[in-house]
Amino acid sequence: MNLKTWSKSAVAGLALMALSGTAWADGMMRYATVGEPPSLDQHVVTSDLATTIAHHMFEGLYTFNAANAPVGLLAAGETISDDGKTITISLREGVKFHNGQDMTSADVVASLNRWGEHGSRGGLLFGNVAGVEATGDHEVTITLNEPFGPWKNLMAFINGGPAIYPASVMEAAGKEPIAPENYIGTGPYKFSEWQPNRHVELVRFEDYASPDGAADGYAGERKAEFDTLRFIPVPDVGTRVSGLKAGDYDYAESIPGDLYADLDADNGVTTILNGGPIFGLVFMNSKDGPLQDNFALRRAIQTAIDKTPALQVAIGPEGLWRANGSFLPEGNIWHTDSGAENFSMGNAEKAKSMAKEAGYDGEPIKFMVSTNYPFHYDKAIVYTKQLAQAGFNIDLQVYDWATLIEKRAQPDQWDLFFTHHGFVPDPILISVMNDNYPGWWTTDEKAALKAKFTASSDPAERQAIWSEIQALIYEQVPTMKTGDVYTYNIASPDLKGLGEATLIWPHFWNVSK
Amino acid sequence: MLVYTIKRLLALIPTLLAASILVFLFIHLIPGDPAAILLGDTATPEEVAALTREMGLDEPIWKQYLLWLGNVLQGDLGTSVFFREPVLKVIGSGAETSILLATMTMVWIVLFGIPIGIVSATKHGTWVDQVTSGGAMLFASIPTFWLGLYLILIFAVGLGWFPSSGFPSVSDDGGWTNLRYLILPSLTLAAPNAALIIRLVRASMLDVAREDHVRTARAKGLHPAKVAIKHIFRNALIAVAAAFGFTFAALVSEAVVTETVFSLPGIGRLVVQSILRRDYPVIQGVILVIVVLYMVINLLVDLAYARLDPRVSLK
Amino acid sequence: MTFIASFLSMFRGRKLAIVGLIWLCIVAFAAIAAPLLAPFDPLEIDPVARLSEPGMPYLFGTDHFGRDSFSRAIYGARMAVIIGLGSVVVALITGGLIGMLSAYFTRLGHVLMRGVDVLMAFPALLLALVLMTLLERSVTNTIIVIGVVYATTTARILFGMTLKLKGEVFVDAAICSGAGHGSVLFRHILPNLISPLLVQASFIFAFAQLQAAALDFLGLGLPPEVASWGNMLSEERIYVTRAPWLLIFPGALIILSVFSMNLVGDAMRDSIDPRFKDDIAGV
Repeated sequence: MNLKTWSKSAVAGLALMALSGTAWADGMMRYATVGEPPSLDQHVVTSDLATTIAHHMFEGLYTFNAANAPVGLLAAGETISDDGKTITISLREGVKFHNGQDMTSADVVASLNRWGEHGSRGGLLFGNVAGVEATGDHEVTITLNEPFGPWKNLMAFINGGPAIYPASVMEAAGKEPIAPENYIGTGPYKFSEWQPNRHVELVRFEDYASPDGAADGYAGERKAEFDTLRFIPVPDVGTRVSGLKAGDYDYAESIPGDLYADLDADNGVTTILNGGPIFGLVFMNSKDGPLQDNFALRRAIQTAIDKTPALQVAIGPEGLWRANGSFLPEGNIWHTDSGAENFSMGNAEKAKSMAKEAGYDGEPIKFMVSTNYPFHYDKAIVYTKQLAQAGFNIDLQVYDWATLIEKRAQPDQWDLFFTHHGFVPDPILISVMNDNYPGWWTTDEKAALKAKFTASSDPAERQAIWSEIQALIYEQVPTMKTGDVYTYNIASPDLKGLGEATLIWPHFWNVSK
Repeated sequence: MLVYTIKRLLALIPTLLAASILVFLFIHLIPGDPAAILLGDTATPEEVAALTREMGLDEPIWKQYLLWLGNVLQGDLGTSVFFREPVLKVIGSGAETSILLATMTMVWIVLFGIPIGIVSATKHGTWVDQVTSGGAMLFASIPTFWLGLYLILIFAVGLGWFPSSGFPSVSDDGGWTNLRYLILPSLTLAAPNAALIIRLVRASMLDVAREDHVRTARAKGLHPAKVAIKHIFRNALIAVAAAFGFTFAALVSEAVVTETVFSLPGIGRLVVQSILRRDYPVIQGVILVIVVLYMVINLLVDLAYARLDPRVSLK
Repeated sequence: MTFIASFLSMFRGRKLAIVGLIWLCIVAFAAIAAPLLAPFDPLEIDPVARLSEPGMPYLFGTDHFGRDSFSRAIYGARMAVIIGLGSVVVALITGGLIGMLSAYFTRLGHVLMRGVDVLMAFPALLLALVLMTLLERSVTNTIIVIGVVYATTTARILFGMTLKLKGEVFVDAAICSGAGHGSVLFRHILPNLISPLLVQASFIFAFAQLQAAALDFLGLGLPPEVASWGNMLSEERIYVTRAPWLLIFPGALIILSVFSMNLVGDAMRDSIDPRFKDDIAGV
């Protein structure tokens, strides 16, 4: 065989393989994810990716409608006693778990208790819960020590929230996430398989009992149109984009802002904005180091930074970011401008004199950032330059995310670190409100306001207290908000029923191809 | 030969032991806590510490090592911290991709490398030789991810001939036609390695042409073409054996990058992701398996050489 | 002068290798004169001018920070030379010493070469990955990691070559005339190994560029703010369709430089002592 025939047969072989590919059945939706979720157990894991997959399988008592208000999902309704301390929730009847059992109050009690004890966000509510009891086959009563305003929001927020599992699964479950063979929920899709490194696959649950009413956000009717949902880890963003364009995926998440204009103009691609923005946060160390309790110095740092150029560099097109100082975005009931005048001063001269007054003498300030999130790193680079101009001696330390998480738990290792926060429906869920979150903001002023904030159930009063808390954040600067980022995903134009924007996590019930 | 093989196999044991200690030490010295990664951003240090204890990661390193070694000797590589599945199963799911990718890569290398090497040697010193040798060297000079990126853009996004990324198992819908997912990645991986084979085939052919037994054969009146074909064949086989060795090394080292670019669920990407997640048992398991395979394949290649090349003797 | 003359004589009749040599000289010049040649500060951020197309004043366009790609490419040449030379020095000194000593002192060699075997059993990039996660991202660490990876191959090669020389008459003669170990190793054996070492160095230099780029791509190489060709490629790779120039220029620079170095190494190999020719097959 000579070279010519060699190459001829090689080309023929290639062509054969290219042509013989079978088209995927329309019954499958292929979703390119940024990676693999740590676990799908909603009680303990707060990864957004985990929720994107898991909320097709697991449901809570409540969920959010398109206006971000909590409404019943597995709960049919509730009554609250006059003193606000006793909540009686009636459950929908005829709801089946994926293992065929009926969902009853025993399952709900077991799930709520495990979430309260071991769940990531369970402590927020259960710190104030005296007990949870089954008061009927389909009725659960929660007794509170004090009235607690955000209870329904906490119950409706499925990420790190109270998903309802069968009582049999909950009995053996502890702090460790439940294993895949125990992924049993009540949702429109059920767990099929998790091939490590390859995909997580869900299939339609034929016995699903959908809530009534028209679809509204996550509420209302849920219909599983696809036979199979397949979540495929594609960590490289360029590969996600090319893969969607080439037709290998139907949906791809977390696409860089700079590609928005091109992709939006591309007929072969649909862009879907996320409704709730994410926001970057630079935490300051309240336990150790030069920033420990020097609020004046922190304000000097805050004054030195202009957030806009960092957003331009990190995100790109104007429509995808907003230099917004309010922790919750415009249009949201929690939006407030209090303190936000200090959000993005970018005044190097003023910062310099403020730092001098605060007693800063050029000691190094350790700023940790991870390159695993490019927009963290890009912004940190811009801030470092601005801070240097204002005379700060910034020691930028670049780590991978796992190292950063370990280091930030050690107060002597850092002064500033970069992270980001997803959209949350209630400010109590923002990490800076958590006293144990690295940074450890625990001043008396915060404690007093926080107590008032959780005790009140009156929406208007709670909004007023929140604006006081936000003002305090700008004064004591436990963290610096870096602006809102509207992330977006891309989809094949063949997908029907996606809607204009994603609420928090994309969902694929009521979606077809 | 049997004695030699047994001797070589026994010599692997101390090397393996040293390698496993080295890996264990390195990996555990890396800062980062798998429990913290599992629990996410909102977990408190107390919660993380509790889970760390539950996973047995708070024991001293030497204790963890002995425990691990004991289990390995019983054929148990432990449980993945991240997937909560046996490490062997996790590696097994990556092995399909890696083995198929390596096999396909080798097919390209043999298919293109050997004929081009032979042509290059027979036309030694002419422009054909210069173009093929130069071209091969040029391919070996391209960063893998850069090549992969453009192959995807041209052949998957632009022309739509091949899938861009991912690899559904051959046991999935589509069966063996799913191999088309591996065409672009295997070509990317073959490019730099084919250059080595071309160079190897060319050099060994030129050497053989100068060698005594060829001259003797010719002097004995054997037909030159017959001599050439026989030796070409033997050299080709040696090159295939070498290709096997090279490709296996590439399977993991260069494949790390290729698998990332093409988002393939292979062992290379598994290692990178496991390092990022601090999934110690998986990293240790994968490296152990790779090192064992690497050594065994080295041994096989040496044995194959001895069979094929009369000049090599085993001692 | 004779050294240069003999060096140049290697390239007689190898036009391509001469072109390669010229390109390498250009890279070396850019590396030395980077501050004079670069029109902008390679780290200067300008959000207004981000993703500008190639033209004036940005010859190679700007990246997503608005940094001038041409200036970064010039400083990238400097980084390429630093990484290349650094890896060569680490690999040759550690690997070379281990190889030579192991061949000369047989008992020591038994232990040392076993250690080399252990390291060789790890695939190169995997070893580099684990080491880079353990160490911090920095220029020095990248050089050390790449150097260590190639030190193992260098040790093997030098081990073989020293063994060959050890059996030669002139070494016996030196030992008989009462020369010490050091003198035999470094005065009599080493000079014979200089030219094969140079060839080995040229291949390490070339492959170090590709390894460094691969590490940068995986996010485990040079610190991301360092202007290097690998960083330019990996940091801007999502812009491959949006701003193609950001991948074409640095990509072409890497390919040209590695190709040139390989050509030069190849030319040098063909002219060294035929005894050692088989030992160096590229890295």
